[in-house]
Amino acid sequence: MTAALLDDFRAGVRDWCREHVPGDWRRAQTGVPDEEFAAFQKGWFQELRRAGYAVPHWPAEWGGGMSVPEQAVLHEELAAHDAPRLVLAFVSIHHAASTLLAAGTDAQRRRHLPAILDGEIWCQGFSEPDAGSDLAALRTSARRKGDAYIVNGQKCWASGAAHADWCLLLARTDPDAPKRRGISYFLMDMRTPGVDVRPTRQATGESHFCEIFLDDVAVPAANRIGPEHEGWRVAQETLGAERGMTMLELAERLGGGFRRLVGLCGETGALDDPVTRDRLAALETELTGLRALCAKLVAGERPGPADASIVKLFYSELLQRVTDFGTEIAGLSAHTDLRKPLSSGWESGAWPLDFVASWEWTIPGGTSEIQRTIIGERGLGLPREPGEGR
Amino acid sequence: MTADLSEFHGELRAAASGLLAGTPGWRAIADAGWPGLEAPAAFDGADGTFAEVAVVLQEIGRAAAPGPYPSVAALAIGTLGLLSPGPGRDELLRATVAGGTVPVVALDAEGTEAFRLTGGARPDGARLHGAAAFVLDASAADRVLVPAADPDGTAVVADVDPADLTVEDRPVVDATRSLGRVAADGVAVRPESLHRFRVPDALERIRDRAAVAIACDCLGIAEAMLDATVAYTSDRRQFGRPVGSFQAVKHACADMLVRVTVTRELVAAAVRAQADGGPDAAAACSMAKSYACAAAVEVAGKAMQLHGGMGYTWESGVHVYLKRAALNRSLFGTPARHRARLAVRYARR
Repeated sequence: MTAALLDDFRAGVRDWCREHVPGDWRRAQTGVPDEEFAAFQKGWFQELRRAGYAVPHWPAEWGGGMSVPEQAVLHEELAAHDAPRLVLAFVSIHHAASTLLAAGTDAQRRRHLPAILDGEIWCQGFSEPDAGSDLAALRTSARRKGDAYIVNGQKCWASGAAHADWCLLLARTDPDAPKRRGISYFLMDMRTPGVDVRPTRQATGESHFCEIFLDDVAVPAANRIGPEHEGWRVAQETLGAERGMTMLELAERLGGGFRRLVGLCGETGALDDPVTRDRLAALETELTGLRALCAKLVAGERPGPADASIVKLFYSELLQRVTDFGTEIAGLSAHTDLRKPLSSGWESGAWPLDFVASWEWTIPGGTSEIQRTIIGERGLGLPREPGEGR
Repeated sequence: MTADLSEFHGELRAAASGLLAGTPGWRAIADAGWPGLEAPAAFDGADGTFAEVAVVLQEIGRAAAPGPYPSVAALAIGTLGLLSPGPGRDELLRATVAGGTVPVVALDAEGTEAFRLTGGARPDGARLHGAAAFVLDASAADRVLVPAADPDGTAVVADVDPADLTVEDRPVVDATRSLGRVAADGVAVRPESLHRFRVPDALERIRDRAAVAIACDCLGIAEAMLDATVAYTSDRRQFGRPVGSFQAVKHACADMLVRVTVTRELVAAAVRAQADGGPDAAAACSMAKSYACAAAVEVAGKAMQLHGGMGYTWESGVHVYLKRAALNRSLFGTPARHRARLAVRYARR
């Protein structure tokens, strides 16, 4: 795409944002009941969908088809105009879609992709009380019985599960196989009898994460995705490929957070302090590096074996540094913000709560410690630590 | 970058790495065509851009190689390119490309001292006064290009024979670099040796080129130190296993790789901006210089730590990189200076 065409595209997105991004959504979405949050999120999703901006990263035949430079521009402009993030649809448009596209059957894709566009919400049933970063240790079992698998166990940290219609579920189909083998990947209807969702109150006071208890839940065999016992591989491939696209958006959103931070420093007079200016410039430099890395990861012809881990680690720790500094600059009055706008994800502008919420990124999806081990072993080829089950 | 160019850069990188392994003299470097990579074909150059120069600069950093290439390629070629064409300038550019002369720009790497011209109307030319406290490769110069303010404050360049200047070597902790103080005490400069710039902000652009060149060097240093550390910790055994299998060591190496990866992106952006001359070139330069220099010191320091007692020995060579990285940080603007420049863009309300 030529630079001129990309400029035209940007102008189009900019015009659309000026007209459609609700100006008061932050105030309006602060402290609202969960149902209102869900309704607002679904409405915003449909607004984006009408413009063709909801799932730009999907293939054209399913309603996407935007080039990588266009996607980067789209996310830049959405962030620059402080548009609400699609927090509730995050798993459905990213993880569920990429899994269906990469490993699903035609029937599964035809059933779910249009439904996601119509507002179907997905959650991810990966983590368990004893299998978080050590995901391969999961114990939830799925035993084949006729045309279905009978699932028993418990999942945790399932974000948005209270609103979810469907769940990406990993369960052990062969209890005797080594840790990473014998796991299968399922699409589970959250309305199936035996599914019990209990929200978990988090450090920020919100209850976005949930526990899911599974008691003799019958999942039709047709809802298994990928071959039996090979769910681990499916999960690795689809999530690895997926991480780049989500990071592109998150990096731009962090750019928006940085602009708010500079604004705050201007308002409070902190910009006159050379130490503050130094720290801001250092953060902007890191942010620029992050954006370049994300763009490269998404465009990547040959991503390295640890590239996704490098980006995740760097993003999540940079997010922590930005929100930490914002909390310091914002002072005591920021601590009187006891609620944040639910539709924003982390970047609410309520700095102390955003800072607390930054651990939502350094812990899930493989903690920073796990990422460093992956980077050391797969990225640098360092010898593995001796240990069992690896 | 097009695939063709990236392939060419790969070949250039491999060739540079091979040549540098043998500590080449200036003749070999000139024969390889490195001084003229960026110069127009009309001057027997390779008609390339700063991107090709950057490939060589990075390899020089990786080898911690001595020699005046960085100051010739970044400062002298950059300066000559910004001067108004004329017989004197053209002759010097052609000779530099051919390797027949090694011009050095007397630009103070710390920016504390400078030169000025007086008496432009005299029949035997103007007089040059002043000094530059830290000039990279001053003693290697057979021509010195002295940026100076003429009587009305305009920046000009005087092409001076080093014999007419006082050039004092200033040995530094980093033995791979050569620095000297250059002083002029009323040196006569003939009109034909005085050159004017084509653009108003030429000196700032030259400083930025120098800063980006140092950032390339830092990237090479960081890459070399990471590679050496991975090799050493994979091999070295303690407590019955390779030390690289210990989580504390592995995680330190992972942090080094993250630093190197981010550095690579920022340096690439700054090099692109230098080559294109876009409006964001100054910001990209300051980001690359501040981040890469800090990263190189950190990665080289971590390398020394992870090499253990062996790393602290003279023989290990790790200290060579640590010293060069620490010197680089102070050349052409400290990280804090560059961040201060970035922060000027943040508007007060």
